[in-house]
Amino acid sequence: MADILINRPHFVAFIILFLLGMYIMVVCLNLVKKLIGMYLMQTSIILFFITLAVKKESTIPIILPSAAALAPEVYANPLPHVLMLTAIVVGVSTLGVSLAMVIALYRQYNTLEEDQILGKMK
Amino acid sequence: MTSSLPGFLFAIPFFAAIVIPVVGFTNQKLCRPIALVALVFLSIVSVIGLNEAVSHGPLSHEFGGWAPPIGIEWVIDGLSGLLMVAVSVVSLIALVHAGPLVEKELAGRVIPFYSLSLLLIAALGGMVLAGDLFNLFVFLEIGSLASYVLVGVAGGRSLLSSFRYLILGTIGASLYLLGVGYFYAETGTLNMADLALRLPEVLDSRAVLIGLIFITLGLSIKMGLFPLHGWLPDAYTYAPNSCTPLLASVVTKVPLYAFVRIAFWVFSMDAVSTQIPILVVLGWVGAVAAIVGAYLAIWQENFKRMLAYSSISSMGLFMLGFSLGTETGFAGALFYVLADTLMKAALFGVAGAAIYQCGANTVADLARLRRNMPWVLAALIVSALSMVGIPPTAGFFGKWHLVVGALEAEKYFAVVAILVTSMLTALYFFRMFQRVWAKEPLPSVEPHVLETPFPIKVSLGVLTFGIMALGFGSDLVMGLFFESVIPKGF
Repeated sequence: MADILINRPHFVAFIILFLLGMYIMVVCLNLVKKLIGMYLMQTSIILFFITLAVKKESTIPIILPSAAALAPEVYANPLPHVLMLTAIVVGVSTLGVSLAMVIALYRQYNTLEEDQILGKMK
Repeated sequence: MTSSLPGFLFAIPFFAAIVIPVVGFTNQKLCRPIALVALVFLSIVSVIGLNEAVSHGPLSHEFGGWAPPIGIEWVIDGLSGLLMVAVSVVSLIALVHAGPLVEKELAGRVIPFYSLSLLLIAALGGMVLAGDLFNLFVFLEIGSLASYVLVGVAGGRSLLSSFRYLILGTIGASLYLLGVGYFYAETGTLNMADLALRLPEVLDSRAVLIGLIFITLGLSIKMGLFPLHGWLPDAYTYAPNSCTPLLASVVTKVPLYAFVRIAFWVFSMDAVSTQIPILVVLGWVGAVAAIVGAYLAIWQENFKRMLAYSSISSMGLFMLGFSLGTETGFAGALFYVLADTLMKAALFGVAGAAIYQCGANTVADLARLRRNMPWVLAALIVSALSMVGIPPTAGFFGKWHLVVGALEAEKYFAVVAILVTSMLTALYFFRMFQRVWAKEPLPSVEPHVLETPFPIKVSLGVLTFGIMALGFGSDLVMGLFFESVIPKGF
């Protein structure tokens, strides 16, 4: 266990953030807090992907016309970064749609607490 | 074979989804014709695609001129071609059906309805065609966003169910993405065909095991597999009636397709049944889901909610069928998926028409259909008999092949589960029939009943015909499945 903490601290951080996000989503009754949990969870996955690409003392993955081709060991893997750019866009659009829903719910029920909304529905 | 056909299949509904708000801004009446024309084209092109894929082998399209596995690849093979045809044809029928309902219940929101429906169809097409796990995730999320909004577009009660759907759906998508990350970390590729080559060497790694579990969990939430179905009953009950035929018939089937693609094509039959025995677990989950879903449906008073639980039960049956591990079981499950797509579109179409014409919300209210609504009643009878599994409807042949597949695999619990589910299904549909033809006279002060609009007549007629035709043509369809859809390794 201590081994993982020392050698792979980023995985531990990822697990803590992911579980924290999920916990907030499940436990909090306030809709906006739920969304904060959701975004935390999505961000933790971005952290997970980015840490996959990390290499100590590596260069950027750009081949200059003058230089020879780089060996794969020398540069950081760009693919996880690119994937996560797309995942960030997906996360932002999900957040946008969900905030629009929260606004519509607030206009209708005048509260953001889920239990109060359920009470007003009956 | 390289072809740009897969790109067209996405481009047609996607561009229509963009054109509709632009044109609709000046003239709202044009939205519906544009949407329908686009879907007619989409159906034609997808039938051509399926035909090409079955007769000449898979068609693939490489984006940006980069050859896979580096570039993104889209593939039409037997299975994805078939799903594409089902999605495009059923969504065309669902949008034809939606016409009069949209005018009544979403009067100020005609543009968002058509635009989002087409965006949803485009995303489902993207999911079906994608040959790349990350691409699949992107389309999964586009499709889910469109369906969250379609569920909540009417406002009111549906907003909270749509919000819950969004929360659970996002957890599902995040788990899927995490699983993809594990696969990428272990193999260094995201292309499905390339993964299929590299995975056999690393099957005993823990990362692959965890990745597969995350992907299965994530997709199970999206497809509403019991016990992860929490969002489904409320979303289907409170969603606008114009959206439910589309949502209930195709939206949960496509994540199921994604799972089948990953389990049997990226992994293999052997890998998922012996080395990582996830199919064994899913077989039991499916059996429980089928029985519990049908049992819960018995107790529902609201007609749409009863159909929602019936969807959960069907999803269990599909899972059970795919987990059997025999060719007949696989083809039977696929046949039942097609049949259920038609049946759910027809049943939710009936529910929408009943609410539109005479405000019949509950199962007991359906007695009003006896008066003045012969078309709707006929569609209800045929699709309900098909759900129960009375020959010669498509539902009977689906269940028949499932039972035969289970007997071949010597999995007797599956046979029992399918039969018990059929009996429970019979119970809730016959209870419904009993209410419809109850001896009590109808109330003399009848609420105003509208005439059945022509688009609803046509769409329900076509769906009913489709259910019967799929039943009569079951040998032909099953023959096609055996020839070009069954994955390797059976």
